[in-house]
Amino acid sequence: MNVFISGGCKNGKSYQAQRIARDQARGGDLYYVATMIPGDDEDLKRIARHLREREGWGFTTLERPVNILELTERPDVNLGGSFLVDSVTAILQNEMFTPEGEMDGEAPERVARDMVRFAEMTGNTVFVSDYIYGDLGMYSESTEEYRCGLAAVDRALAAACDRVIEISYGTEEVWK
Amino acid sequence: MILVFGGAYQGKLDYVRENLVQGREWDCAGGAPDFSADVICGVESFVMDCVDRGTEAADYFREHRDEWIGDKVLILTDASQGVVPVERRLRDFREMNGRLMIYLAGEADKVVRVFCGIGKQVK
Repeated sequence: MNVFISGGCKNGKSYQAQRIARDQARGGDLYYVATMIPGDDEDLKRIARHLREREGWGFTTLERPVNILELTERPDVNLGGSFLVDSVTAILQNEMFTPEGEMDGEAPERVARDMVRFAEMTGNTVFVSDYIYGDLGMYSESTEEYRCGLAAVDRALAAACDRVIEISYGTEEVWK
Repeated sequence: MILVFGGAYQGKLDYVRENLVQGREWDCAGGAPDFSADVICGVESFVMDCVDRGTEAADYFREHRDEWIGDKVLILTDASQGVVPVERRLRDFREMNGRLMIYLAGEADKVVRVFCGIGKQVK
């Protein structure tokens, strides 16, 4: 089953997503699609913490910060396995902004298409995104475009997935 | 009246068009609410105008209650989360928007929250 999970930050989304992905693997191949490109010490610490949190869960980590469909061409990846993509937020950021700060305005449409395709090809992926739409907004122009773009990816995934869950401090609100 | 709310870019208007009503729409970004329309969206823009004019948005809706209480759909962006804004105008906006939402939710026959394009009736 394809599952879309969103909610505020530090609400327990990743933990719930890991549980669902592990249960969906039924003892078979279980993949964690790592999406972050570490930029500084803070990121490296976060990655180390995530690795510790996943220890013993049986995840094989696949590094894929951009172009998720590349995974579907790898001979060592079993598309019949269970996948956890954490997070949609990071993949869009990586595809939309270069390290030099240049913006690719077409990234949201491309990422939405690729993510939905990945969901169709695997049929067994948990996507984690971030709900960043409940505040006032009024950010810089590029941040606002990113926010709007992530919402478009979220909506495409929510429409394509079998289940949509909002996590609020560990509790689940099932939308679909 | 049906009140539809949700965060920014969640597809509130699309949801209304696909699930509730296809009719004449009025976007309050273009001025004060035109209650002759079937769907009045962007009500938060009107709230911001009220902040700038020093009036209370909920009072305006109370005074015009007869005009929207029937079979209208009102769409409002929820901006209640996040850090308290530093700028006074935005603080005032966030609070006034909240007061209006509470009033409208109380008066509504039905309240729908939209999340990632999916609606859920919460009243």
